[in-house]
Amino acid sequence: MARLSVSVPTTARLPSSLPVETSNNAAVKLLNRLSRPSLLSMVLDWLDPSNQALCPPLLQDGEEDYEDDFYPPASSLEELREIYSDMQQRKGSKREVVDRIVEGDWRKGVTLYQLAMADVQYLYDHPGSLKWTAYKFQRLKTPSSEDAAEQQAQKPDSGSMDIPRFHPSTFVQNLQAEVLPDVKAHYNLDRPPGMPLWLLRIFILDSPYNTGLAASHRTASNRAAAAATTSFDASRTIYIAFPDASPHVYLSNSQSTGATTAGESKSLRTLVVEGIPKAMSRPRERYALRPTNLTTRNLAELLHVRGAGRANAAGGGWSIYAGDDKRTESPLNPALPTPPLSDEDPSEELANGARKKRALSIRTTHDKYRLEAKRARLVAQARFGDSAKADDAKGIERVDILVEDSFSAAGGHRGGGRRGVEDEEEEGEEEMDNDNSLQLKKPKGRRSGVDLALDRAQEGDDDDVGGDTWAWKPKIRLTFHGSHVFAGIRQLVEAGIVEGERMPGWMTGEEGVTIGAVRYGRIRGHKGSGL
Amino acid sequence: MSSRNESPDLSIADQLDEEIASLRAQVESLKKELKIQTSTLMVSDPTRKLLQDRSKKRTVNSLDSGHVAELLKKSDEQVAHQQQCLYRSCTSITALKIRDPDPNAVDSGNVLGLRFEVMSKARFVRPYYVMLNRPYPNSRHLRVHRHTVPPCVPLAGLASRHLPAPKTSKGGADNDADDDDELQQQQQDLPRFARALRRELVRYQNRVGIIGDLQKAAELSSHQTSGSDADAAMIQNLGPVDAEAKQISFEWSDGKSGRLIIDDDGRIVKMAVQGENGRDRGAVRELIGGNVHIEKLMGQFEGT
Repeated sequence: MARLSVSVPTTARLPSSLPVETSNNAAVKLLNRLSRPSLLSMVLDWLDPSNQALCPPLLQDGEEDYEDDFYPPASSLEELREIYSDMQQRKGSKREVVDRIVEGDWRKGVTLYQLAMADVQYLYDHPGSLKWTAYKFQRLKTPSSEDAAEQQAQKPDSGSMDIPRFHPSTFVQNLQAEVLPDVKAHYNLDRPPGMPLWLLRIFILDSPYNTGLAASHRTASNRAAAAATTSFDASRTIYIAFPDASPHVYLSNSQSTGATTAGESKSLRTLVVEGIPKAMSRPRERYALRPTNLTTRNLAELLHVRGAGRANAAGGGWSIYAGDDKRTESPLNPALPTPPLSDEDPSEELANGARKKRALSIRTTHDKYRLEAKRARLVAQARFGDSAKADDAKGIERVDILVEDSFSAAGGHRGGGRRGVEDEEEEGEEEMDNDNSLQLKKPKGRRSGVDLALDRAQEGDDDDVGGDTWAWKPKIRLTFHGSHVFAGIRQLVEAGIVEGERMPGWMTGEEGVTIGAVRYGRIRGHKGSGL
Repeated sequence: MSSRNESPDLSIADQLDEEIASLRAQVESLKKELKIQTSTLMVSDPTRKLLQDRSKKRTVNSLDSGHVAELLKKSDEQVAHQQQCLYRSCTSITALKIRDPDPNAVDSGNVLGLRFEVMSKARFVRPYYVMLNRPYPNSRHLRVHRHTVPPCVPLAGLASRHLPAPKTSKGGADNDADDDDELQQQQQDLPRFARALRRELVRYQNRVGIIGDLQKAAELSSHQTSGSDADAAMIQNLGPVDAEAKQISFEWSDGKSGRLIIDDDGRIVKMAVQGENGRDRGAVRELIGGNVHIEKLMGQFEGT
């Protein structure tokens, strides 16, 4: 093994062409996750002539004899392409393709690039497989002197007019400089189809080498025979998404191929969170990352409320101002703007008739219900605007709210019955903790991330504390679960189960957060747009 | 004919569907026409005069006068709308009153809306809105509540400059030297904020528009000359690379790539081109020449 002798510890990144032996379970698992069609289209991509440096298949070179081989290597790329195209046309099992890759054409090893492609392809096939958290870049004040820089923590510069600019290759280079030398990372940048963002996949190995030794199975067992797991088995993957033209960044939760503890993956995430602003900063231009209390599995929703568009600070009912529907609002349009629902109602004449009938006080119960239903729909339209439609594919699956209002002030009208109904419809669970139970809970080991985030939201602004210290403030925690939480609430409003006018604003999702503490009926720290 | 023989029912159904669809489209367009005609008729002087005379007379029966009053009301609405449209198209910043639907909203839901009209490609784009409310107790200071400004326009910076929050009592002893400065900053200046924001919005829209025009011109010129002479390197691709549309990347057909940086107003700040053997200053000179504004680069594409 000539390679062993040149493996020296280094701080460089892992090269994309680094082969991983196919005997490695983790690598095979990555391939096995994919479906047959996407696996085949990916393999055809590997066989593209431009990709040969990164994923070379085993080809017949005439010297070795592959007579009794189950998968004899092809003599040329074209032949191999034909084999896989044929597989694409006929039916078969996924197993067949994976076996051919692992034991046939790439028996010498698949490269890190190929594994990255397989992993990214899995993400495209299953968009909900990762949980994303949105962070915002915030410009820090340039300290006026050296002393000031050393003494005090850096403050955010609220008056800054700069928008951070993301340059993929510079960013990766800078991020590499932040990575510790005993950890090796492989970076893969990709542009998901149909989404305005850059996806950066970071694959981390615990190894000081950036050669084959890092991912090698055999050498590890040779050197330390007892070592059952290689560093590759303890690898971790984390995704960072950079939306175009937006000062936000989305971070996925980290996945590991082997058995790692939750604490380990959390610390990796913390490392990355700390590294990103450093990689983004330049001399005299420092940035920090600020959590924006939004976590969801849905990238489309993230792009909607933390993306480049107009809807960032105009959610819920305000979305009619941001919407990009066909209704033109040009000042050159002479037609009077029509109120919502008036033109989509097919029985407009009928409704008019009903109104006249009501005037003559011959109101039937049927008409009454119909009018009420229409009213509820109008109220829902007013509160939710064009957002929170069940079919808009922008669903948030979990929302955590901590209500801190004193019971008499704002909690009075929040009836318990309504909550119960939401429970059923949203297929959700709701927790109601008062102070005591929360106190009891606290010492029990590690607290969940939601608790921590809620605490942070609570500590976020300490204005108007005091004042009504004597009021009874039960701590109420609401958790909404569902495939599309706010669409569910909208449907409840439309059905007349939730009273639309008296529903608090945070139930419409207009704040664009999934975790928040409510004070005086509003999400704290979001007196408005959360600027 | 053969296909019809195979499935006559389906084809008839298809035909009917098509007919229905075309009729529906016709109805829609006629409805639109009707609306426009109505709105024009309603605000015309003779119509209004006729209506006003009728309503004054009151000699006709009650049913008729009811209709006249209704028509007059509609006409008034239409006149008001037209006046609003006139203001909107002429002044480009207009204010509107909005009610916050949240029952727990501050200041009992009163919200001041600012509407920014921006032109792009000879038409009005959807207006940008900024909604302000008064969340601070014992103070009439405004705060940005909601807005539809895209994140590439530094709204937060402008708001903290021109609409600073009122000082809380605890912040007083922080630094004495800046006291005067801070006192001055305490004053909120809504007109200045609106003007500055409009300027940013227009400049942003203009930059995006110019880059779009350049893209189109580059596409056209590359199509025109692709067949005839391939000796000169053509610009294949160009586009904004940052959020604010201040940096433009260029790609030539011979593999050169460049980056052009412009300032807020579209003036050229600098440009670098990377060729096969290091920096290619000749290409920069060729492209920019003596031009100071990015608009002038259009001539480069038209000339080739």
